[in-house]
Amino acid sequence: MRSNSECRGVPCAEVRDRRRCLLASLVLLLSLAAPAQQPSGQPGAPVSTSAPPAPAPPLVLIDPAHGGADPGAMLNVAIPEKDVNLSVARRLRQDLVARGVAVQLVREADGTFPADQRAAMANATRPALYLAIHSSSTGGGLTVFSAMLPPAVQGRGPFLDWSTAQSLAVQRSRTARDVIVSAIQKTGFPVHGLIAALPPLNNITVPALAVEIAPPTGEIAQLASNDYQQMICAALANAVAGAMPSLKANPKP
Amino acid sequence: MIPRHFLIVTGVLFALAIAMAVYVWELRRRETLAPIETRTVQPIAPPASGRTESVTFWVAYDAPAQLRPQSASVPLSSGRQQRAQELMRFLLEIYKDKNSSHRMAPDAQVRDVYLVDAGTAVLDVNASFAGGHTSGVLAEELTIASLVQTLSASIPGLTRVKILVDGKERPSLAGHADLSGFYDVAQVTELAKALAGQ
Repeated sequence: MRSNSECRGVPCAEVRDRRRCLLASLVLLLSLAAPAQQPSGQPGAPVSTSAPPAPAPPLVLIDPAHGGADPGAMLNVAIPEKDVNLSVARRLRQDLVARGVAVQLVREADGTFPADQRAAMANATRPALYLAIHSSSTGGGLTVFSAMLPPAVQGRGPFLDWSTAQSLAVQRSRTARDVIVSAIQKTGFPVHGLIAALPPLNNITVPALAVEIAPPTGEIAQLASNDYQQMICAALANAVAGAMPSLKANPKP
Repeated sequence: MIPRHFLIVTGVLFALAIAMAVYVWELRRRETLAPIETRTVQPIAPPASGRTESVTFWVAYDAPAQLRPQSASVPLSSGRQQRAQELMRFLLEIYKDKNSSHRMAPDAQVRDVYLVDAGTAVLDVNASFAGGHTSGVLAEELTIASLVQTLSASIPGLTRVKILVDGKERPSLAGHADLSGFYDVAQVTELAKALAGQ
């Protein structure tokens, strides 16, 4: 006669342990196999069966020039250039974002950034366009500058000379400058396109421009006025957004 | 015993030494109090006589921002380097005029111009030139274009120009225009034409 603690000659406790072990192995196998059956996107995310995901909007890196220990020009006794530049940059960001352009600012507050650091940031971010903002008492309206460099046909090897890094992109910079100037001219606002030896334009490997804003009638206080800044930023944002199709994605250097 | 005449001569010499010390001290005090303007070393005046030539100065205007070629008849030396120095000093006199719309500091100077080889010129301006300059991309570009274009128009064969301040390299003229490298004359000519056509 078999005792209650034996199942076909094997102790029942041992049989139960084997069953538990088999069950645990089965659960483990199933849990490992489950993710492999998910679609290649985010687990649990809805799977699109028709259109591919929308491409990321083009990025514009706006650089409010000067800042921190470098005030730029003292436009008058109370208005340093760095403050006007930052204010215009923030407004321009709003206007560009409203037009479907992604924007990043080099500085969000009053901080010191050397020119080389600004160039390094642009080269690491690789935006569709780098746009430095300056303001001045000279001239009237807007002046858009591209680098003062002759275009290079091709790079010399995998490395670019820091002082002429822009030469491979300068032709695209000039094209973008001309498109922007032409678009603003249509609004009747005074605008000119020029070249300038202005740091850090020469050190940037993507299309790079600088904009200098001047009061239309020579009154410096206008530069700090909301109305004038709003008008300038709206015109500039329209023009920059219009120039985006001509600025194709930047290839990796 | 010391002779009397020897005592008298010693006393006179001692009195003279004290008088001279007082006089020198007074001269030094006057020099310290003299106004700075009267002590500023003026640039060497261009030759008042000599062959007069018609040259083109590229003159900057702030309002509207433009660069305009202006012909003038000025006496110039025949040597390339002297000629370059005289041209720059004539040009600066235009900007020091009270009617100039692109004013420069009254004590701004081009200290020297060196033609280091056939195609390279080095312009050395003083600290007042840079320190008293209006800060701004356009304002500084106008000055650079005016200097380089005027120089290259009258000194044939120039291909690049370097600008120093008080004999030293400086990152920028007044916070914007890059002075760390050489200015390519062909590029500056392109800028000058664009500024002339504005």
